[in-house]
Amino acid sequence: MTAIMDMDVAAITSGFAAGDFSATEIADAAFEAIEAADPQVKAFLEYTPEQAYAKANALDAARAAGGVLPPLAAVPVAFKDNMNMLGTHTTCASHMLENYVSPYQATCVSKMIDAGGIPLGKLNMDEFAFGSSTETSAFGYTYNPWDLERVPGGSSGGSAAAVASGMATLTLGSDTGGSIRQPACFCGVVGMKPSYGMVSRYGVVAFGSSLDQVGPFGRSVADVAAAMNALVGHDTLDCTSQDCKVDFLANLDQGVKGMRIGIVPGMTFADGCTPETLAAMHDAVAKLEGLGAQLVDVELPHMDAAMSAYYILGPCEAFSNLSRFDSVRYGHRTPGCHELGQQYEKSRSEGFGQEAKRRIMLGSYLLSAGVYDKYYYPAQQVRTLITRDYREAFERADVIVMPSSPRTAFKFGEISDPVSMHLSDMFTISVNIAGNGSLSMPVGLGRDSGLPVGFQIIGPQFQDEKILRVAAALESCCDFRGRVAPAFAKGGEA
Amino acid sequence: MKTLQEVLQDWEAVIGLEVHTELTTLKTKMFCSCPLEFGAAPNTHTCPVCLGLPGALPVPNKAAIQSIVKAGLATNCQIMRRSMFYRKNYTYPDMPKNFQTTQGPVAFCMGGWLDLEIEGNGCKERVDLPQAKTGSYTTHVGITRIHMEEDAGKMVHIGGAEGRISGATHSLVDYNRAGTPLIELVTEPDLRTPEEARQFVQKLRQIYLALGISDCSMEEGSLRCDGNVSIRRRGETKLGTRSELKNINSFKNLHDALVYEICRQAEVLESGGVIRQETRHYDPTEKRTIVMRVKETADDYRYFPEPDLAPYDLSDEFVDHVRSLMPELPDAKKARFMADYALPSKDAAALAGDPATASFFEQAAADSQYVKGIANIILNDVAAYLNATGMGISAAKFTPAAIAQLAQLQGSDAISSKQAKEVFAILCDEGGMPDDIVQQRGMKQVSDTAAIEAIVSGIMDANPDKVAAYRGGKKGLTGFFVGQTMKAMAGQGNPKLISQVVNKLLEG
Repeated sequence: MTAIMDMDVAAITSGFAAGDFSATEIADAAFEAIEAADPQVKAFLEYTPEQAYAKANALDAARAAGGVLPPLAAVPVAFKDNMNMLGTHTTCASHMLENYVSPYQATCVSKMIDAGGIPLGKLNMDEFAFGSSTETSAFGYTYNPWDLERVPGGSSGGSAAAVASGMATLTLGSDTGGSIRQPACFCGVVGMKPSYGMVSRYGVVAFGSSLDQVGPFGRSVADVAAAMNALVGHDTLDCTSQDCKVDFLANLDQGVKGMRIGIVPGMTFADGCTPETLAAMHDAVAKLEGLGAQLVDVELPHMDAAMSAYYILGPCEAFSNLSRFDSVRYGHRTPGCHELGQQYEKSRSEGFGQEAKRRIMLGSYLLSAGVYDKYYYPAQQVRTLITRDYREAFERADVIVMPSSPRTAFKFGEISDPVSMHLSDMFTISVNIAGNGSLSMPVGLGRDSGLPVGFQIIGPQFQDEKILRVAAALESCCDFRGRVAPAFAKGGEA
Repeated sequence: MKTLQEVLQDWEAVIGLEVHTELTTLKTKMFCSCPLEFGAAPNTHTCPVCLGLPGALPVPNKAAIQSIVKAGLATNCQIMRRSMFYRKNYTYPDMPKNFQTTQGPVAFCMGGWLDLEIEGNGCKERVDLPQAKTGSYTTHVGITRIHMEEDAGKMVHIGGAEGRISGATHSLVDYNRAGTPLIELVTEPDLRTPEEARQFVQKLRQIYLALGISDCSMEEGSLRCDGNVSIRRRGETKLGTRSELKNINSFKNLHDALVYEICRQAEVLESGGVIRQETRHYDPTEKRTIVMRVKETADDYRYFPEPDLAPYDLSDEFVDHVRSLMPELPDAKKARFMADYALPSKDAAALAGDPATASFFEQAAADSQYVKGIANIILNDVAAYLNATGMGISAAKFTPAAIAQLAQLQGSDAISSKQAKEVFAILCDEGGMPDDIVQQRGMKQVSDTAAIEAIVSGIMDANPDKVAAYRGGKKGLTGFFVGQTMKAMAGQGNPKLISQVVNKLLEG
C-alpha cells in the first residue's frame, strides 16, 4: 500500500470510508511526515495537533455511526498563515502579528474543515504576502523540497512546500499576483487561483483586496478540483463572493478534443524566459494538440503595462489595508511610548519588515494628493484595458496557456533586487488584474535544472472548470501526477 | 464687538452646513450585523468587522441605503443609480481600520434643495432683503450631496480637565458606536444669516423625523452639525476665508456660534487683520468660539475606491419602492393643516413639524368643531408639559380624545379657561376624560345671567363707596368687582359674562 501521506484525496477518502485506516491514523501519519520533513523544509509556522485530533476523532465517530461522510473526510489539510483559524496564531509571517491569536475563523478555513479536512497547522509565507520566495518571512526561510538550497517560491511558499514534501495532502494559499501559481511551479505541485469572487476572502488578511484570491494546492488536478468543490460559493460575509453551482470533478475527464487553446505568440518567447521553460512549454502545447485540441493565436496587447499597474494598485490597497496594524488594539507595540504618534511610529518601524515598509510607503505616496491622478487613476484604466484584452481573447480561445514563471526555482539570495524579484511574476500578474481563474501545474523537470517546470492555464472569468478539464487532460500524459519531491517520498507500492 | 445687526449692514455672511445624522432607527450597523443601541456597556456591540480585525470584510446594510435614499427624495436630490464607497485614510484610535468607509465624488444623493420660509423675528437678521421687513420671506438652499458613511468609536480622555485630551494621562475607546450608519448632508453656501442656518437644520430634523430614519438628538449626538462661515463686503462676489465651527450640540448654539463668529470675523477684518482658515470649537458657557487647529495645508486623506465593496447600483425598482414608502413630509402636512383645519401658518407649521405631535393633533381634531382650541392646547399646555417633563407625547397619560373633549368643554363655555387648566393638570397626573373630571369635581361654569346679576348686585350693595368712585370716573375699579364676583362664585362663573354684567350694572 502507498503510504497515506503519498496518497491522493480519492485514495484517502475511499480508504477512510472503507475502514482501511482511521482518521486518527491519518493524523498520526501526517504528523509523522511533518516530524520527518519539516525540520528540513520548515513549511509550518504552527502545528495544530489539538484541532487535528479533535477533528479526526469526530470523523472516526461519524464513520462509526454510519452517517454520510463529507467529501474531504479525513484529508490532511493546512493553511497559509494569513488565514484566521480560530485559536491559532495568524501572524502573516510578520513580527507585527507574532502574538496575535485569531478570535474568529476565515470562511475558507471553515469550509475545508467542514468538508472533512484534518487541520494540521499554519504555513509560512512572505510577510503579509509581499514577495515571491518566502524569504521575507519574519520567521525564517522555507526550503524547496526538490532542492533545499532553493526557495519554494512565494508568497505561499509554505503551502506549496508542504504539499510537495508530502506533509499535507491539500493546502490553501492566497494569490494576489502569482502567490499560488509561482510557488506551485517551483515546488512541482498543482496550484489554482480561482476567478476573483469564486472563494470567500472573509477572514483572510488582506493584501490587495481587489486582487487577492484564495485557492488550493494539491499533487493532482483531481485533488485541486475536490478542494475547489469545497471552497467555492457565495459567502454572506464577503459581498464580492459569487454563487457557484459547478461540480469541478464532474467534467475532469472530458478531454480537450475540439477545445481551442490560446497562445500569445510574442509572450512565449518573452525576454527572461529560460530555454528549458520554453522547451517544456512547447512540449506541453504539443501534447494538448496531440490530444485533439486546436491551437489558436490570441493577442493580449496591454500585457506590458500589467506589471506597472500591479505595482501601483497593489501597494495602494496594501497601504490602506495594513494601516490597521497600529499597535493600539493588537499587534506589536513598542513599550514605553508616552505619545500616540511615537507609539505608532516605533511600533510600526519594529513590527514591519523591509518589503512591507517599501509597499506601505509606495502606496502612501501613490495615493497622496496630486500623485493619485498620475498613477492610481491610469492604473485603473490599464486594468480596464487588460480585462477587455482577456475578454476579447476568450472569444477566440477556451483557455490561454503560458509559462507560470520564466524560470524554475532559484537559490536563496540569488535575486536580491526587488525589481528582478517582481519580474518572476511576469506571467501571473495580469491574471489578477483581470480577475480570471488560472492554474499552474508541473509538466516535467527542466532539461537543464532538473527542477519542476510549471505550465499555466488561464480561463475565462467564472469558467474555472474549463481550466481544470484542460489541466486533467495534460496531466494524463505528463507522468507527474501525485509526485512527492523525491527526497521526501515515503515509498511503498504505487 | 459690534452686534450682528450692525455687522450685517456692511458685511454679508456666507454660511454652509455639514449635517451628520446617525441612522439610529436601524437595527444593525453599516457594515456588520452588530446591534445599534445607545447606552450599552462599552465594547459589547462589536465584532471582527467593526473592530477592524485582520481579515474582516464589510457588507453594506441595505436598510441604511433605503434610509439615505429616503433622505435624498425628501430633499429633492437626484438619486444616483451608481455610486461608490471610498476609503478615507487617517490614523486615529477611534477608527479601528484607520480608514473611514465613506463615499467618493458621486454620492447616493446629489444636487437637492430645500426652501425655507422665515417668519416673524427671524426676518430681522436679513437686513438686506426688503421683503424681510414685512415679517416673512422665502429663501432657497441648495444641497450639494448626501453621502453614506460610518461613524467612528467614542474616545474618553482620562486625567485632563473636563474630559479634554490636553492634559489627559490616557484615553479609553468604546467601539460600540464604530460602524454606526451615518449620513452627511452638505449644503451649498446659500445661507446668509444664523437664523436661516438654525431654521435649515430644524427643518431638516423635522424631515428626518417624519421619514423615521433617525431620532435626531443633538444632545446625544445623533444629529451633529458643523458650520462653515465667511463674510464679505456687501456687493462683493468673491468668497472670504472661512472658518469651520465644531462642537455644536443645540439649535441655539448653532445660531449663537454663527453670530459670534460673524461678528468676530468682522472685527478682525475691520481692524485690518486677516481671517485664517481654521477649525473653531464653540464654547457655549463663554459664548465664543476658540481655535482648535489651523489648517495650513489641506488634509490628505488619500481617498480611493473601497476595493472590498463593488460599485453600488440602485435599480429603478428599488428607488420606486422607496418612493412608495415616503410619508407625508412636514411642508405638505403644514399646507394640509392650513387648508383642512383653517389653522394659521405658524400653528400649522408647529404641529406638522413633529410626526408624533401631528398625529396626536389629527386624532384629536377628527370630528371636532373646536380644532383651533385643540391646536392651542397642544401648542401651549401640552408643549409646556412635555418640555418640562422631557416626556414624549405618546408616553403622556392624556389621550387625543381627552384633549378634544377639553377643547370642546372650554370652547362651548361649559368650563372657564382657568378650570380648563386645572382639568389639564389632572389629565397629566391621572389621565381620564374631562367630562368625568368636571362632573366629579363640580367644575361647571355658571353662565346664568340672572344668577350672576344677583351676585354682582349684592357686591355693589356691600361696597357703595367703590360704586360711587367708579361712577366718579375711577373706571379701573371694574377689575375689583369682577374679581369679587369670581371669588363669590368660587371660580365657576363665566368670566366673559361676569365682565359684561359688571360693566352693565356699574354703568347703571
